[in-house]
Amino acid sequence: MKKRLYIELENCIGCRSCLAACTQCGGHEQRNRNYVYDVNPLISRQTMPLMCLHCENPACARSCPAQAIQIHETGAVLSALVEKCIGCQNCTIACPYGIPKFDSEQNLMYKCDLCIDRTKDGIPPMCASVCPSNTLQWLSEEEIATKKSQFALENEKWVSSMPYLEGGTNVKINLPGILQGVEKLF
Amino acid sequence: MLRDKFFKEVENVQHPNEKLVKTHCSYCGMQCGMNLRVNTHTNKIIGVEPRYDWPVTVGKMCPKGVTAYQQTNHKDRLLKPLIRDHAELKGTKEGFREASWEEAYNLIAEKFTNLQAQYGKDTLSVFSGVSMTNEKCYLTGKFARVALGTRYIDYNGRFCMSSAAGGFLRSFGVDRGSTLPWTDIHETDCLFIAGSNTAECHPTSMFRVWSVQERGGYLIVADPRETPIARRADVHLDLKPGTDLALANGIAHLLIKKGYMDEAFIQLHTNGFQETKELLKLFTPEYTSKITGVEVEKIIRAAEIYGKAPNAIVMFARGIEQQHKGVDNVSAYTNMALITGKIGRPFSGVATFTGQGNGQGGREHGQKADLLPGYRKLTNPKHVEEVCQVWGITPEEMPKPGVSAYEMFELMEKKEIRGLYLLCSNPAVSAPNLNFVRKAMKQLDFMVCADFYLSESARFADVVLPSVTWSEDEGTVTNLEGRIIKINKAQEPIGVSKPDWQMQVELAKKLGKGAFFEHLKTTRDVAEEFRLASRGGSADYYGATWDKIDQQDGVFWPCRSEDDNGTPHMFLDKKFYHPDGKAKICALPYRPPAEETTMEYPLSLTTGRVVYHYLSGNQTRRIPFLHDMCPDPYVEVHPTTAKAYDINHEEVVRLYTKRGEATYKVKITEAIREDTVFVPYHFGDEDSINLLTIAALDPISRMPEFKVCAAQLSKIATKENGNREEETVY
Repeated sequence: MKKRLYIELENCIGCRSCLAACTQCGGHEQRNRNYVYDVNPLISRQTMPLMCLHCENPACARSCPAQAIQIHETGAVLSALVEKCIGCQNCTIACPYGIPKFDSEQNLMYKCDLCIDRTKDGIPPMCASVCPSNTLQWLSEEEIATKKSQFALENEKWVSSMPYLEGGTNVKINLPGILQGVEKLF
Repeated sequence: MLRDKFFKEVENVQHPNEKLVKTHCSYCGMQCGMNLRVNTHTNKIIGVEPRYDWPVTVGKMCPKGVTAYQQTNHKDRLLKPLIRDHAELKGTKEGFREASWEEAYNLIAEKFTNLQAQYGKDTLSVFSGVSMTNEKCYLTGKFARVALGTRYIDYNGRFCMSSAAGGFLRSFGVDRGSTLPWTDIHETDCLFIAGSNTAECHPTSMFRVWSVQERGGYLIVADPRETPIARRADVHLDLKPGTDLALANGIAHLLIKKGYMDEAFIQLHTNGFQETKELLKLFTPEYTSKITGVEVEKIIRAAEIYGKAPNAIVMFARGIEQQHKGVDNVSAYTNMALITGKIGRPFSGVATFTGQGNGQGGREHGQKADLLPGYRKLTNPKHVEEVCQVWGITPEEMPKPGVSAYEMFELMEKKEIRGLYLLCSNPAVSAPNLNFVRKAMKQLDFMVCADFYLSESARFADVVLPSVTWSEDEGTVTNLEGRIIKINKAQEPIGVSKPDWQMQVELAKKLGKGAFFEHLKTTRDVAEEFRLASRGGSADYYGATWDKIDQQDGVFWPCRSEDDNGTPHMFLDKKFYHPDGKAKICALPYRPPAEETTMEYPLSLTTGRVVYHYLSGNQTRRIPFLHDMCPDPYVEVHPTTAKAYDINHEEVVRLYTKRGEATYKVKITEAIREDTVFVPYHFGDEDSINLLTIAALDPISRMPEFKVCAAQLSKIATKENGNREEETVY
């Protein structure tokens, strides 16, 4: 059963456990490949993770002159192949989210590979495994469909972003506002 | 057992030449499940893998948990005993030389024996901690009373959980930190969380907390700061530090006035209601608002939500407990549950977020100045008799109750205590009023410190003994639910380090008390004696065998026999632990903080944790990821206050109280009250905020008032070029 990374932005508590966990994935050489931003630290404690969305037609791979960025059969957009990457950094410019990182010593791009040695076997990536707030979840298509129906409201005041905004990405994302449509229990 | 909707069957990744050792985190009371990855060639811990099969945390970990394994083979580990021959170097890292265990033990035995010969048995003291297993906590109590024969033993739970303990004992007659399992939390309809920065201090509770709101339930948070959990609360009661008692009374006033009390429950199962009702008349929303600074409407809204909720859980933490009325705060918030009958059933109850890994178990088994194993009392002759039988001493030989943690430093200063055996704690950072505490430690005649790193406190020692990390020994820990769990050994101790229990057994022999200890050859031997010693006490662990813990994912105490599966939910039969079986609703008059703000000290200083560090930071400040995320302390200031003081974001300012001062970088944020400043307490030396905090102790729990004192800020003059090197303090 295919599962996807699902991001519930409203839940983020800024603990950066996803960053710590990213360094622990077998193929990650102790370097994290994801980001957590303080939205406006002078005002509030709101934070948000910035993860690779694993685009279906990724700009990073399209921009690569050396075919160093491969797309796995699961849809995961992999980190640059060491033997192919020429260090041109096209991908870091092409990615609209600024995901690929560059190691100038190795002259090598590295990015989130969705913990491919885990997710190829259906095991959740490290970030979603540890996320204490359920901001990052590893969900089946059915579970994502439930989320969609839960947050697509008909009240015109608010329509959850999920069915519309992110388009062709393998990671699904939900912007803040999920509680607006929740009917209180009493 | 107790598996819920968050539990998913997931297989772990198994790398070649590696084995996974199931265990739990070394840090807070959540005790998140984790697997340690061990290389099968080197037999060393090399990483972490989530433990999806642990029902409480289902694989989740905070950044401290993810990196916890890096403690074990860290370059700063103490590998051999250290001796310092030059007392004038105390307080520094200098002058230590490596020694053998034999030499270290002989020196300790000689010094301790001489001190006791000259000044009496009680000239020695033991200061312990609860970030270690029940077996170690238990044996430390026995070591102090049987091997050293001193009355002076206490522990760092006095700075952490003692107010919760005092409040629960008064309200329920028993001190189990949570009346229900954590797997109930997401199923309740209302969470009322007071004085807990849950998202930073107990992050792996958060998926359950958010789930309450996603189901349409409510979240009410009382905190002077808009913490990540307060930011999303339905009601944020943004009270002035140190005014919780008024807020809790104000809510209880409204619960009664608006008819949300459960009269049948009150009559059948509680005492003290009429007296409390009388006292609460004073606490109108307007009166409560005046004391707490919280808007009247918010107080009314919070009371209505809690009152209406079919099920609700009242939760709290150090924010309300680290006050000189911490015990009253605990009982006052507990009153909410007792008045409305929202206790003693699934999905309703009261819980405290236990701070230290074994904050629950470690306070039950005889490290506290007045307690013996199984939550027995030193002042109860029957209890003393029961423990004497296990220990093989006579009641006359049992030392009398001692004094609390901070009070031991007062006795050191008065030279009534001249020797100290410190373990599992770092009071040179974590105690209040540090100028005094550090001076008291420095003037000790002889001090031993057992730790696995050279902590700030170890620098005051004459002998430092290398202990092991949690991953190099096994044993049980009691998590914040009251669930007894098993810590497993993943690696052999590095260097010649040893578990604390083994040092104590060996030292006891040197002190001529070997007969009482030498049968304890393995951790399991200690565990067996400990189960026996707790048998029949209110915290009865007798039935919690290691096998049972394995089979049923932990055992909730009390667990009185081998047939008993433990007690996940307390008070389901509505029987409380006071002799008449009733709980106590407490009438608690309001008291202001011990030190109120003045013209000279107009700001309330409050302290707490950040998500990247644990307690005194002795462990977490050494972990590269955690250090990088939060390398230095800072002071949070509201922009309006910053403007009044003409200070800017990231400017370094001087912060001071009547007791001490320090300089901190300013972090401007609207997420704090204008009258309050906040500094995290994890940092050592001149960065310790506890140089400024007050040692006003709760009369019952002897908890210091870390959470509020009066402070002042001053700008540090800068030369026009703005070069900080040339700044001077005026």
